[in-house]
Amino acid sequence: MAGREKLLDPTGFDDRATDSTLAPRPASLRGLTIGMLDNTKPNAVLLLQEIAGELQRRCGAGEAILYTKDYFGTPVKEDLLKQVVDECDVVITAVGDCGSCSAATVADGILLERLGVPAVSIVSDSFLVSGAAMAKVQGFPGFEFLAARHPVASLDEDEIRDRMQALMPEVLRVLGVES
Amino acid sequence: MSTLIEAPLADAAEIRSTIEYYNSQKWTDGLPVVPVTESYLSEFLARTSRDPDEILFTMPHLNRSLTIRLAAINAAMAGCLPEYFPVVLAAWEATAAEPYPKRGIWQSTTGTAPLLIVNGPVRERLGFNSKGNVFGSGFRANATLGRAIRLAAINVFGLHPHQLDQATQATLGKYSACIAENEEESPWEPLHVEHGFDPADSTVTAMVFRSNLHIEARHTGSPEQLGLDLANSIRRTGALLHETSSALVVLGPEHAQLFARAGWGKDDLRQFIFDNSVNSREDLVAVGKDALSQHTRWRLPSGHPDAIPDEASATDTPDLVPALKVPSSVVIMVAGANNAGVSAIIETFGRRGDTPSTVKVQDHG
Repeated sequence: MAGREKLLDPTGFDDRATDSTLAPRPASLRGLTIGMLDNTKPNAVLLLQEIAGELQRRCGAGEAILYTKDYFGTPVKEDLLKQVVDECDVVITAVGDCGSCSAATVADGILLERLGVPAVSIVSDSFLVSGAAMAKVQGFPGFEFLAARHPVASLDEDEIRDRMQALMPEVLRVLGVES
Repeated sequence: MSTLIEAPLADAAEIRSTIEYYNSQKWTDGLPVVPVTESYLSEFLARTSRDPDEILFTMPHLNRSLTIRLAAINAAMAGCLPEYFPVVLAAWEATAAEPYPKRGIWQSTTGTAPLLIVNGPVRERLGFNSKGNVFGSGFRANATLGRAIRLAAINVFGLHPHQLDQATQATLGKYSACIAENEEESPWEPLHVEHGFDPADSTVTAMVFRSNLHIEARHTGSPEQLGLDLANSIRRTGALLHETSSALVVLGPEHAQLFARAGWGKDDLRQFIFDNSVNSREDLVAVGKDALSQHTRWRLPSGHPDAIPDEASATDTPDLVPALKVPSSVVIMVAGANNAGVSAIIETFGRRGDTPSTVKVQDHG
């Protein structure tokens, strides 16, 4: 008999150092390069192009470059991340509309912010909780990301434009600029 | 009085308060867990020569890793006995080698669960059930091995439901899913031997699954009729998330013996199922799954903005759409009682056209 002993923690959750510093925000988007990070989910490209187009019209943003992840369920691979960071001034990433990709979209935003690039991560509003849980395991509790009204995948172009319009005030706020 | 004269004495209030502590920490799948302290942990760790800090499985995207020590704590909490621990380790290694778990499938809306298949002498030695009620309850080794994986998924990888685990509905197999092969009543070589292991080896094969379909076919003696019943179930459109699907066919001994009597081996059955798991284009149009999303290659209606044609469209028979990519998308094993013409199809998410992820149990002391 071992007698009375302490119960063991089964999680292995050591309190990791948190790093919740956002990238510095630009004074304006005029002429800045917009990265559109597509996670390959249906309608992601359409939504990203609508948002980038609106940033160009409203804020005079510069070129918008499309990048495509090779898999939606995990964060962006290191070589693509480096390329995006090298080539872009701000990044929009979408669309986290499933369990694994909502979390991965939030992780992508955190990776970009830590490398100094302001990022807007967009999930569908059914997945706010998994996004928040991912921010926590990534050591960035409270990381702010945006929620488009669910669903996104089944919408047509007009409906995607409506989603974009609804998101724009929040996109501008997260990027720290006025239209 | 319901007191049992021979039963040991226990401080039930203290036991309950310990269990409640685990609940309050959310270190549970909802069922009571076994309290684990260093001395009990050491009994598990004594069953392997490996370093307790060795990492068994990492999910880099979640920033989390499972060590041997954490696998042992969670196995003990799940109700495993220390002598099960080498099987737990093999189960984790097989799971880690599967393509989907490390890619976030356990967070997915699809709601899959890990499935473990045990082969070899360890079944008898530790009491893994391979016969009647093989998917059911009542067998400690099956129940706790499957649970050991799920508890660690929750505790170590933080995959709590409603949080990082966003399953829309999930599956009842998420509490625990572990079966053993009924090698003794199979007319064919067991799963692990088919994939290059020795019959005297014990192994664990890991898969990812969502559905367990019941196949009822008691009155046929024809391998073609039974084979078509299986194929018609495998090709069902509801299962077609991706362009094609994959399946584990768990034949009851009676069905396996029906095929064997007709001279069919596993490869013959696989080929027959592959040839007949085909949907008409019309059937897929009717359910809005006649095209693919250009990047994810998930099935969607051809009118969707992301739609591109599927592979079958470019063949000589564009109106016949195979539900399986290759015959080896079907894995075949035998389990259950030899008492009726009943089988099961487990719809898997995993390798299509590759050998299953099977790992040998390394016994130590």
